[in-house]
Amino acid sequence: MFKKILIANRGEIAVRILRACRELGIKTVAVYSVADRQALHVRYADEAYLLGPSPARDSYLRGDKIIDIARKCAADAIHPGYGFLAERADFAAACEQAGLVFIGPKALSIKTMGDKAVARATVAKAGIPVVPGSEGEGSLRDDELLAYAPKIGFPLIIKAVSGGGGKGMRDVRNIEEMPDLIQSARREAESSFGDGNVYLEKLVEGARHIEFQIMADQFGNVIHLGERECSIQRRHQKLIEESPSPFLVDDQPLRQQMGVVAIQAARAVDYANAGTIEFLLDSNRRFYFLEMNTRLQVEHPVTEVVTGMDIVAEQIRVAYGWKLSRKQEDIQWRGAAIECRINVEDPYNGFLPSSGRITLTQPPTGPGVRIDSGVYAGFEISPYYDPLISKMIVWGETRPQAIIRMRRALEEYKIVGVRTNIPFHQTMMDTYPFITGKYDTRFVEEQFSMLDAAENREMYLDIAALMATLVAHDKMEHRTQKYDKPPQKSTWKWSNRQARSNR
Amino acid sequence: MKYIAEVDGLEFPIEILDEHHICFGGETIEVDLAAVSGQLLYSLIVNGESFEGYVYPDERSWQVLLLGRSYSIFIEDEREKRLRTTEAGIVSPGREYTLKAPMPGLAVAVPIDEGQRVEKGQILVILESMKMQNELRAPFEGNVARLKIKAGEGVQQKQALLTIVAPITSPSVEQK
Repeated sequence: MFKKILIANRGEIAVRILRACRELGIKTVAVYSVADRQALHVRYADEAYLLGPSPARDSYLRGDKIIDIARKCAADAIHPGYGFLAERADFAAACEQAGLVFIGPKALSIKTMGDKAVARATVAKAGIPVVPGSEGEGSLRDDELLAYAPKIGFPLIIKAVSGGGGKGMRDVRNIEEMPDLIQSARREAESSFGDGNVYLEKLVEGARHIEFQIMADQFGNVIHLGERECSIQRRHQKLIEESPSPFLVDDQPLRQQMGVVAIQAARAVDYANAGTIEFLLDSNRRFYFLEMNTRLQVEHPVTEVVTGMDIVAEQIRVAYGWKLSRKQEDIQWRGAAIECRINVEDPYNGFLPSSGRITLTQPPTGPGVRIDSGVYAGFEISPYYDPLISKMIVWGETRPQAIIRMRRALEEYKIVGVRTNIPFHQTMMDTYPFITGKYDTRFVEEQFSMLDAAENREMYLDIAALMATLVAHDKMEHRTQKYDKPPQKSTWKWSNRQARSNR
Repeated sequence: MKYIAEVDGLEFPIEILDEHHICFGGETIEVDLAAVSGQLLYSLIVNGESFEGYVYPDERSWQVLLLGRSYSIFIEDEREKRLRTTEAGIVSPGREYTLKAPMPGLAVAVPIDEGQRVEKGQILVILESMKMQNELRAPFEGNVARLKIKAGEGVQQKQALLTIVAPITSPSVEQK
């Protein structure tokens, strides 16, 4: 087995990978930016090396430095996590050239699936349905995009060719608003991926986003670990994921068919290691290939919880050259899992990101709750990286039990110092479409409102008023005390001295 | 000390008798408030019922997050309320809105100029933070004044970026 692994990432995912290494008895190496000197991954690792200044391009995106550190500290392998260098074929190739194992697929698979246009063409050739788009046309100029749009029809989506994580994506309702949206998509794509190329794709309305977890070894064995329902999104960023999907739960034939197609898509690029095939399902239960993520996903824990499989440990095993630890028929799914992504975003203020020092954090514990977190009380949230600070995953024997458990856990989860989207999740767990599983990818943006959804919750106007008044009064008292009275401490000291002198 | 707390258009008169007793709706109630580890998180016991919530000071009011709901609460002591009622007749001048950076970040674009007329909802500044570009928009129609930000500059949280002054003649201006 590997002796030492370098983790080329930060935050909760770096901690997650560290944990897997620990359990496998592998030494760990963390890398960090200036802003992350006190981060959890640095504190938990066996070794830690500074990469550079805080911006990602000067630290976590410096593949050359990371490879250099890995060689100097004699690491055998690099785990890229998600984001940063995880889907950079050039980095995977550079690792290989440096004699390091890249814990992920082969560089060529990343390259093929990384160019969204090539990926769609490749799987389409294998007979897998794709959403109509402009991928066959290569890189288009603005005027060409505008000319091509009517062929696809509105509404459509502008997507970054090198995209992911919802960045560089814009929905377009009509041709009039399209020029501005192309500009803002290109701008965001350029700053996120260093590539401003975009393509067009038909927007499937009423669609659900369902993805399949794939696991493959280097001997051509490919299995799937079932689906994850990821339709609760905002600006194409997933917020809640669950497994199984309430949409597939009564449709075993469709689930099986999608699983088979997912494996087929992975085989089409000679895939090894963990990967995810994303599908869109329209309201007529037709499904289309959306893209493949050639890496570990943020939401992998929901699959771990229902299958009992440690996906990160399995990634490490197959990267070392072992066979998959299980066959398809060994995979069994038990109960229901839900994940809420805890972001430092204020749902009462347009989901604007919030940064600052976390002064208190009290994560929920108890039956069926798992927290994957990268923060602690005293940690400073910097504006340089992703707003995701922690993930809360619950398991229940049934989906309703999981929802009830999630409500309980969300109420227990206290974070002070930064604003989080916990109230958003609390509200979501109470909404009828979520409870009944009848929602699509537009639900958060088009139908959900914190205010409307809160209507169902019991009001505590009097308690809230009382709480605020007592706090206000307390603050007022402190203010007046400062001016009116001499400091208490010296009075005590004085009377104490007086008492002694009287003795 | 007597206070009036206003929430959702309802007024709650609350008199604080001593550290553990208040008069609320004509009744004397036993209360105990404790800041959890001295933070913005508060534990409140009211006649034996236990509650926990966040209390954040806002610019002019207080925000309470309690059991998955947010409440905006305006608190005045009796004297303040009397003062305000006598001031109510004075007409305020043209409405102004100062755009403050809601978070630290980098201004990637400032597609407006000093003195320019902007529409409601028009993009004023595009601020990049945590890898996302956030479009900060005009809350109402008006003219750009006191523009203090250029594209490419970094900003601190709550830094004033510019002001929108509503035209007095515009029918969309509400007198407050």
